[in-house]
Amino acid sequence: MSGFDNFNTDFYQSSYSVDDQSQATYGYGNADNPYNKPYGQYDYSQPMGYSSPGMMQPQQPYTGQIFQPTQTYTPSPSQSMYSSSFDDEPPLLEELGINFDHIWQKTLTVLHPMKAADGSIMNETDLAGPMVFCLAFGATLLLSGKIQFGYVYGISAIGCLGMYCLLNLMSMTGVSFGCVASVLGYCLLPMILLSSFGVLFSLQGMMGIILTAAIIGWCSFSASKIFISALAMDGQQLLVAYPCALLYGVFALISVF
Amino acid sequence: MRLRNSSMDGSDGSQLFEDTSRAGNQQAGPQAAGFPGQSLLSDPMSNLAMAYGSSLASQGREMVDKNLDRFIPISKLKYYFAVDTVYVGKKLGLLVFPYMHENWEVSYQQDTPVAPRFDVNAPDLYIPAMGFITYVLVAGLALGTQNRFSPELLGVQASSALVWLIMEVLAVLLSLYLVTVNTDLTTIDLLAFSGYKYVGMIVGVVAGLLFGKPAYYLSLLWCCVAIFVFMIRTLRLKLLSEAAAEGRLVRGARNQLRMYLTMSIAAAQPIFMYWLTYHLIR
Repeated sequence: MSGFDNFNTDFYQSSYSVDDQSQATYGYGNADNPYNKPYGQYDYSQPMGYSSPGMMQPQQPYTGQIFQPTQTYTPSPSQSMYSSSFDDEPPLLEELGINFDHIWQKTLTVLHPMKAADGSIMNETDLAGPMVFCLAFGATLLLSGKIQFGYVYGISAIGCLGMYCLLNLMSMTGVSFGCVASVLGYCLLPMILLSSFGVLFSLQGMMGIILTAAIIGWCSFSASKIFISALAMDGQQLLVAYPCALLYGVFALISVF
Repeated sequence: MRLRNSSMDGSDGSQLFEDTSRAGNQQAGPQAAGFPGQSLLSDPMSNLAMAYGSSLASQGREMVDKNLDRFIPISKLKYYFAVDTVYVGKKLGLLVFPYMHENWEVSYQQDTPVAPRFDVNAPDLYIPAMGFITYVLVAGLALGTQNRFSPELLGVQASSALVWLIMEVLAVLLSLYLVTVNTDLTTIDLLAFSGYKYVGMIVGVVAGLLFGKPAYYLSLLWCCVAIFVFMIRTLRLKLLSEAAAEGRLVRGARNQLRMYLTMSIAAAQPIFMYWLTYHLIR
């Protein structure tokens, strides 16, 4: 909760302009209560771009005191710019924390295992992308007739727990569980390729074994690369890659058999 | 209150429905935002609740950390995981071929043993942990190729191997206690040493899967001898007295007892290795 404000400030600043004030004026009865103020009167210091109160067209004359900015509630400094009235709420995706641009960047990092990873991309824990990938993996398995969502979730949970314990013991700085789950979820993307390939062709021949081994290597290499750069562990990439390879090997077992 | 007032007024013709959104906020007082569309952050009650909740969460985490540290010494465990790739490579080589290695002593740095990163003789827990998990998965694979696989079997294999490991460590601890050896071997050290045999077991099972039964027996034999020599040479420095460790013959019942103890611990390893893998290769 305390990190809420920091989280919000990392997002792009919304240039939400409050133009549609006119809807706000409906429904005001004979107001003699000084608290019955329309939207535009709140004295916010944030650049909300409030138009002048002259835009208000009240249906009936106000008897209350309208233009009294000092009487209004002055927001505390910790209040974020999103705590405004209903019409000024940020878009749903922004409030949920789903930032498509970051998701796309992280996906590209996974897909290019040879490129060096930036350590700061894992600063925000994002579980939306991994959820999508897990569901996509289960869906491709479903396409080949294997209804094994339970196994996928169970193995991911156990694997994330194991990696969390191991990384906390091996690194100087610790990791949070969300960060581990997020990285492992993103690196599941090549496994989706494998299982979709398995829909069309059988994976149990020599070709399938080679492909499976290559994809397991790809997944664990990207995962270890991201972990190494985010946790600043030196000389331990193969040591981190091996448990990731075991985890993705179990996923591959589910896809193949 | 407010609602009734406004409905009784009734003079506003354009208002079809009452504006119920303002109903709850009148009690909040001048401090609160007068409009109900304000988010939770501005309401002092929810501010208070949030502060209380976050302090509760941090208190809970502190309590968990403190109690966890009492049962599982996290800082001591971190020492055993301070490894790097070079160390793991060298150690795996030692476990399979310990005959050429000369100096088996653990180097110390001002009374504390050096981290495994810097000394190949120091015990670590990364290899035993990874070895255990790999053994369980390879056992699953072996059973799968014989069409005897089901996911419950993985759990059965894992728990039976774990139980054997715990019993072995307890037996060694008991015998160390009975022989009253003055040693700086901790329980975690013993756990690490007992876990090194998984490497040999995995090599044997994989060779058996790839090349058949004779390959399994040959590689298992090689790994059993290797782990026997490894354990003797490592434990000798820890359990026996200084003179006996250097190889000079020292008479005395105590030293003989310690010798027998070292030999029996080392001999238990190949027995376990065979016991835990023979049913995987048919």
